[in-house]
Amino acid sequence: MNEAEFAYRIRQALDEGASQIDYTVSLRLEKARKRALERSSATAAAPLWVPALQLATAGAGIGSGGPAARSSWILRFGLAAPLVALAIGIVGIKQWQNDNLVAEIADLDFAVLLDDTPIDTYAHSGFGEYLRAEQASAM
Amino acid sequence: MATRAEISEFLAGAERRAFKQALFAVRDQDNALDIVQDAMSRLCESYSDRPVNELPLLFTRIVQNAILDFFRRQKVRSTWITLFSALSTTDGEDTDPLESLEAQPGSASAESAQDQVERGQVVGIIEQEISRLPARQREAFLLRYWEDLDVAETAATMKCSEGSVKTHCSRATQALAKALRARGIEL
Repeated sequence: MNEAEFAYRIRQALDEGASQIDYTVSLRLEKARKRALERSSATAAAPLWVPALQLATAGAGIGSGGPAARSSWILRFGLAAPLVALAIGIVGIKQWQNDNLVAEIADLDFAVLLDDTPIDTYAHSGFGEYLRAEQASAM
Repeated sequence: MATRAEISEFLAGAERRAFKQALFAVRDQDNALDIVQDAMSRLCESYSDRPVNELPLLFTRIVQNAILDFFRRQKVRSTWITLFSALSTTDGEDTDPLESLEAQPGSASAESAQDQVERGQVVGIIEQEISRLPARQREAFLLRYWEDLDVAETAATMKCSEGSVKTHCSRATQALAKALRARGIEL
């Protein structure tokens, strides 16, 4: 007996076995089939597209797939976009502050280097006292 | 596009075979029913706009994918169970599920083999031996010879080469014939 003949006889046995499944099983299969078909009808009856704002409040109950799934992505994007903008803003402000600080330090360095007073003077302990005395006499 | 009546008629004709295939694979009636229900839902929700002549192949693929999904979930679950029950005495994932099947003398197949007529006994034994085949061999054999898919369709469904399908089918046939002979059944 070749493979095809053997397989044909096995197939007959399998068909017979499938036709003899328990009543409870066939009942459950029938229920599952009807449920699947009802779900399919519900999906087909749902509108193809609904405004995003409406879905943001009512879309959660429609079910999975189709417009509801699209709406959830829109909703998620709508929530995520301000957070991303806020993060970009914070990073920008931090960068701007850093740039300002660097510019201030550079100005100070320039002033010190260009001044007539020798640099070693700034490190001398009496120089601070001298400046304070000068400020006091000026006031 | 298939009408609701056409889909219903198709599913009514295919659901028993799908159930049996799932049962051969997972060896548990409730899980097999869940798999078929899941497959029917997926077909109705995602492919109801397809022509009716495409439904058999689509449904077959969905059932096979649902069976694979079941085993993936089982694997993840068993990994967690193994992690949290280190003191248990189970042998782990390598345990052959057939052992537990054989250890259940009250199972439906065993009862039918004892209680029904000779033909029913033969059918029961054939089903048992099919469920004992290695998963890929069984899948290839059933898709080719029970679902009537050609070699290319079977290969696409199983995500393997056509040569592999032929090899799986040939080995399944030989293994099945040998097992049935050993149990005194000549077809």
